[in-house]
Order: sequence, then structure tokens, then C-alpha cells
Amino acid sequence: MRNTYLRLLQLVTGALIAVLLGIHIVIMHVDAILGFFGVDAAKPTSWGAMIERASQGIWAGLYIALLVFVLYHAFNGLRNIILELTPSVKTGRIVTWVIIAFGIIAFIGGTYVPVALLVS
Amino acid sequence: MKQIRPRQNYLGAGGWVWAGKYKLERYLYLLHRITGLGILLFLLIHLCITTIFRIQGQDVWEATIALLRNPWFRFGEYLVVIAFIYHGLNGLRLILQELGFALGRPTPPIYPYKDSLRKKRPWTITMLAVIAILAAVVLFDFIVGGW
Repeated sequence: MRNTYLRLLQLVTGALIAVLLGIHIVIMHVDAILGFFGVDAAKPTSWGAMIERASQGIWAGLYIALLVFVLYHAFNGLRNIILELTPSVKTGRIVTWVIIAFGIIAFIGGTYVPVALLVS
Repeated sequence: MKQIRPRQNYLGAGGWVWAGKYKLERYLYLLHRITGLGILLFLLIHLCITTIFRIQGQDVWEATIALLRNPWFRFGEYLVVIAFIYHGLNGLRLILQELGFALGRPTPPIYPYKDSLRKKRPWTITMLAVIAILAAVVLFDFIVGGW
């Protein structure tokens, strides 16, 4: 039953990532085409543009939400692949806990900087 | 008494690159897995750049961005965008089919049989065409934006 919920969450986070990461990629990487349609993305990777986005709560919230969904989706996907290769229950349990630990470290590291930039 | 064994369809490690007697959808599944692992690798690098390098200030950030302007990194970036487009659209197809959409109406089993894979294949081909168009659009952007 637990795996059913993990699987369902994989589908839900997948759909949410498609939307949020779609926004992220269009703004960060399709700036030439955005310019053609009259939207000025103004060098999205420049320090000024990055700091301006980082100082707005909505962007910080969007990035942190995206980070949570992506980390779950990616690490749960990785866990599924590894568990397919390791039939032992004990090994599977170790893999699960190592992946959870990695996910928490990545979440703390990935959240600290946007929050620090937002409050500075 | 003769024991009936289940059909052997386990492809083992070779199944990561070779689909055996399975069709197009199996290769889409393999590519889904490979693109997923590729995106995960990129995610870890991306997280390092946007945390460790970004927090060190403007000079380090601009030096990092200048390094990433290298054509090889730009090409890698393009591959990541294409991988995301593929993984996202194929994932959407998998979600819809898992929830029972786009499976077609049930039909009586009259020869020549039409299994569910073949019934939904037009949708799959359409999805691949959309991916190809988006890949071309993003390639155009990368070229216009300075490879």
C-alpha cells in the first residue's frame, strides 16, 4: 500500500514539475524567442536579473516548491531503478535511507541560498 | 506431469539498451529512464552552481556563467532541455494511460487483432512529432542566442 502512495505521488509531482520547470526553462533558456514576441527577459542569467528574481517572494517560493517536487520525483525514480536491481530487502532498506539522507541534504542546501538571498 | 513454465521475457541488464521482441514503447521506456538519470545528474550540478557558487558573490557567479558560455556546455544544456521535453511529454503520456485515458474503445477479438498498444500508437507518434518540433524550436533559440 505504501508503494501505491509513493507511485501516486510520483505521478502528481511529475505533472507539477512539468508546469513549474516549463516556466523556469522558458524564462531562462528561450529568451531569444521571448524577445521575438516582445517579452524582454533581459539576460536572465546575469547577476542583476538573478538578484532581482531572488528578492521577490513569489520566485523564491516557486523555486523552493520546484526543488521539493524535483527532489522527490528524482530520488524516488532513482530508488525505483536501484530496487529493481537489488532483490535483497535489507539492501533495499539501506538504499532507501541513503536516498532519503541525500534528499534532505540537497533540500537544505538548495533552500538555504534562496532564503538567505530573500532576507538579505 | 509436464510443468508449464511462465514465458521467459526477462531481458536482464541487456534490456537497458535492447528491447528484444518488444516494440516502440519499450524503447520509449528505456529513453525515459536514461533521460531521467541524465536530468538527475544535471540537477546535482545545477544545485551546486546555484548554491555554492552563487552565495560567494557577483564575481564568482559571473566567472561561472562565463565558463558555462563555452559551446560544449551550451550543447550539454541543449541536450538537457531536449531530455526534459522528452521526459515530460512521455511522462504525461504514461500518466494519461495509467489513469485509463487514450486507450480506445474495447473491441471484439476478431482477426486481425488490434491490441491496446497499436490502438494508442497514433497518440504516441503525435507525441514524438511534438517533441521533434519543440526540439527544433529550442535549437533555433540556442543558435539565435549565440551557440
